[in-house]
Amino acid sequence: MHLLGALAPQLTPVPISTGVATILVAVIMTMHVQFAAWQQGGYIILAVSDFMGWKRKSEHHDRFSRGLVTMLGASFALGGSLAIFAVVILFTGLWSHFWVTLLRVLFWPLLAEAAAFVGEIACLYPLYARWEQLGRVRGLRVGLEVLLFVNASIQMLLINMVASYMLTPRPAFNLPLIMFNPTMIPLEIHRFVGNIAFAGAIIALVAGIRLLRRAKAPQLRAYVDWMGQYGLVWAIGFTIAQPLVGWEYAKEIQLHAYASWYDMMLGGLSVAFLFQVFLLGLIFTGGIFYLWRRVRASGFRSPALAVCTALSFLAWLLISTPSSLAWSYESVFAANANVPIWQGGLLIPWGAMIPWKLTALVTFTGVAIVAITLYLKHVSRGRLHWGDAGKSQAVALIAVGVSISLIMALMGYIRENSRGPFLITNHMLINQQQDFTPPSASGPALNGPASGVSIIMPSDLHP
Amino acid sequence: MSRRRFMIMGINAAGAATGLLIAAPIVGDILSPVFYKSKQPWVMVADIRHVPVGVPTAYVVMLNDSGDAWQVPAVPRTVYVVKANLSNAVQLITLSNVCTHMQCDVHWDVNLQVFLCPCHGGLYSMIGTNIGGPPPQPLFRYQHKLVGTTLYVRNVLTEGQ
Amino acid sequence: MAEELERSVLVGRLTRPISGLMATTYRWVDERLGVTDLVHQLLYEAVPRRGAWAYSLGSATLILIVLQIVTGMFLLWTYVPSTTEAWLSLNFIEHHDEFAAIVRGMHLWGAYILFVVIGLHMVRTFVSGSYKKPRELNWIVGVVLFLLVLGLGITGAMLPWDQAAYWTATVVTHVVDYFPIFGTQLQEILRGGPQMGPATLTRFFAIHIWLLPALLVPLIGLHLILLRRHGEHGSWVNYEGVEEETEAERAERMARAEAPYPALPSDPGYAVPMDLDDFFPSQVFKDALVSFGLVLLIFIMAIVIGAPIERAANPAALNYVPTPEWFFLPLDQLLVQFPQAWMIPVGVFILPGIGTTLLILVPFLDRTPGRQPWRRPEVMVPALFVLLFLIFEAMLAVNRLFNL
Repeated sequence: MHLLGALAPQLTPVPISTGVATILVAVIMTMHVQFAAWQQGGYIILAVSDFMGWKRKSEHHDRFSRGLVTMLGASFALGGSLAIFAVVILFTGLWSHFWVTLLRVLFWPLLAEAAAFVGEIACLYPLYARWEQLGRVRGLRVGLEVLLFVNASIQMLLINMVASYMLTPRPAFNLPLIMFNPTMIPLEIHRFVGNIAFAGAIIALVAGIRLLRRAKAPQLRAYVDWMGQYGLVWAIGFTIAQPLVGWEYAKEIQLHAYASWYDMMLGGLSVAFLFQVFLLGLIFTGGIFYLWRRVRASGFRSPALAVCTALSFLAWLLISTPSSLAWSYESVFAANANVPIWQGGLLIPWGAMIPWKLTALVTFTGVAIVAITLYLKHVSRGRLHWGDAGKSQAVALIAVGVSISLIMALMGYIRENSRGPFLITNHMLINQQQDFTPPSASGPALNGPASGVSIIMPSDLHP
Repeated sequence: MSRRRFMIMGINAAGAATGLLIAAPIVGDILSPVFYKSKQPWVMVADIRHVPVGVPTAYVVMLNDSGDAWQVPAVPRTVYVVKANLSNAVQLITLSNVCTHMQCDVHWDVNLQVFLCPCHGGLYSMIGTNIGGPPPQPLFRYQHKLVGTTLYVRNVLTEGQ
Repeated sequence: MAEELERSVLVGRLTRPISGLMATTYRWVDERLGVTDLVHQLLYEAVPRRGAWAYSLGSATLILIVLQIVTGMFLLWTYVPSTTEAWLSLNFIEHHDEFAAIVRGMHLWGAYILFVVIGLHMVRTFVSGSYKKPRELNWIVGVVLFLLVLGLGITGAMLPWDQAAYWTATVVTHVVDYFPIFGTQLQEILRGGPQMGPATLTRFFAIHIWLLPALLVPLIGLHLILLRRHGEHGSWVNYEGVEEETEAERAERMARAEAPYPALPSDPGYAVPMDLDDFFPSQVFKDALVSFGLVLLIFIMAIVIGAPIERAANPAALNYVPTPEWFFLPLDQLLVQFPQAWMIPVGVFILPGIGTTLLILVPFLDRTPGRQPWRRPEVMVPALFVLLFLIFEAMLAVNRLFNL
């Protein structure tokens, strides 16, 4: 920090306003996150699919693995270039102060991160270019896929250390504490699970579009139908863990970055968060609806799955209810209207996080486990005939795919904006990037809470 | 009734009676803590002139555990003495540092300016109001009385707000 | 016939090498005690041949429980169950009595390894569908044994009356306070008063060394009797090809089965494993090696790490961070995630209660055909989710406590 402070005045800032820089970085990073999540989740689906094709002699799995590896190889080329562009051009050019500080604080994790790309290339491109040849020793090919997945997981673990450090930093001189900062493990599980669900959802999305559009030949239609349900089971199966892990993630933010938590749950970002849980409800309800209708399309009635769909729908309504008719709690407080709407206030008691939104989350989790189980029971008994899928299932697949993609982008938006004026909570401000003045000993207090954030708790309002 | 039938009934009855004789005092023994009663004396804490306004201050006092058994009449407990500036009047509150969620030991966190429970992350305001995390109710308050400026508490808890 | 001969020689070994007065004495005792018959009953029996290493988890559990009982007995040479002396007596062991410290270390690490082994044993039994007819009751007895061991673990953790023990006991006894209607009374019964005190320690001491073991030991006996009655099921690898075999082949397999097979079957084909082996010495050999390895591990951990003891209990603590024993981390995490008023009982009673009930009822809920895990998605899929959730909860709990 001292070195940087001495150097900084000599640097001429890039002539771009902070607002434009923020938008540029945000757009590129959102795309980068989607690509990276697709790669990381796709690798494990690839390994499992190839293994299933090998052991269960399943043609669908074989055909799918071949297609997936081609897609992953192509998308890595594009996504990797995007990442390099983001790092080299945008970060070093626009947010140099932030980027150099991050590199200094987290030098070793970031170095390992960069090195892991070599491993990714070394595993992925042989699979991409020599798929059939490698298939002669099937165990070796599956092993390479597992290696690819492990490598990508380590990559993600390392970058999660960086990302979580920005929200809940620890003292700069203690690397283990920084690496295992309070939100690292929750973010790691949240993303690990989320990436697999995302990759599954993209596969379901592709299948959904093909079902609606082109796939008319019976054999192709059977494969696309199979692929849709396969992707969807991955997507819903892994989304099941998200309410639990996300809840804990928010809990750690509450304990260690209270202003961010307040902004997300009760402040200016609470509306975005409400849309977030609306999308979550859409994913669960759409996914469970698909499972119910898909079983029906093959001629089996499942009242239990219908009940699951209905319960999920009710939970969706519950979780989408806003907790007040204002944009944030501050407005409720300012309007002096912190009583239920039937007493002339702005509060909607059914929209409260505790207990109602929590109840909805528990409902989603339980109902989705039951639905997936019932669906896989039908599959394992060989009752479903591939190719039966109709239009409503295709639409459900597309809805789930689009929702998961949207929810990831929105989550990134919320996470980045919740840090308020900071890039690194309580350590570095966004507006220092283009117009940097080194902090003086008696200068603006960077360690205190953000000024202009007034914290009002609902329990203070009605004891 | 045959002789044999009579004896079988006798065995059953004697067995049941024997079991009852053994079980009754044991059940009573198990349930006995519910019926304990105890008296609580006043214990001196501090001179309240030494307690700063707006800074919860911890004092360790020896308090009887009500209804406790045969030994260790008093155990050390922490009392948080709070002089809170509420609507322009300083109010004196003697808070228990026992979390209302799972009864762990909460402490005043200077950085967060809240009472923090390390077990499950419960948060309380300066006057003990539960403002975050799992606690279902505010921190309990010890009954206190002032003799001059000397503060006394006793191990009788009232609900907080 | 060759096998029969080999066996008789084995039993013969108990008498053959000795002669004269020794032999006469043995015969005298054997006539009255039936030693030879007993050895026959205990050792000579058929078990499935394939996958035998996985089946040694059960015997390892037994050995580890015996280890707990033996080491526990000798901890009582020093330990005093009183709030003023419990910590002093164990602190004395840790600093002045090296051998007792090793015994205490083995008791602690034996408990830790026992939880791992009993968990694996359960997972193994679950995955192989061994709870199906006619072994439903043995599964239920096993679940009860598992719960008793959990109870022993948590009550044992309270006995040292150091900071960790005191706060563990505080939280555990306060959990029951959230029980509907009788909560407060239940807590007073457990604590021997409204607050933690001397009666709390004596109660949990009695529960730990008498009440729970008195339930545990007979149930272990029942578990073994039921195992012997129906024979070991093994897993699907012991029944590969049963679906393809003809009626005649199946009848022939039943006919040449050795005791205790054929078991009362739920599906034709699963009454007798395809290949059988002798319990003694084949299975016992593997069991002995696994148990030896585990006890060696416990011994090493007892010497290298031992059982640490924290500072004496201090109810006035201000900055102590109570951490639960690792096997209770997922449950502790539920306490964090279900906040406020009526949601707390959901986290502490309803969810674990549903889980336990489902676990007990597994044999009656599972109506799947076959024993292969991939043909039983309706039990395997929920179980996988539960396992995944337990792992996530434990990871999140470690993270939370690490960063406090």
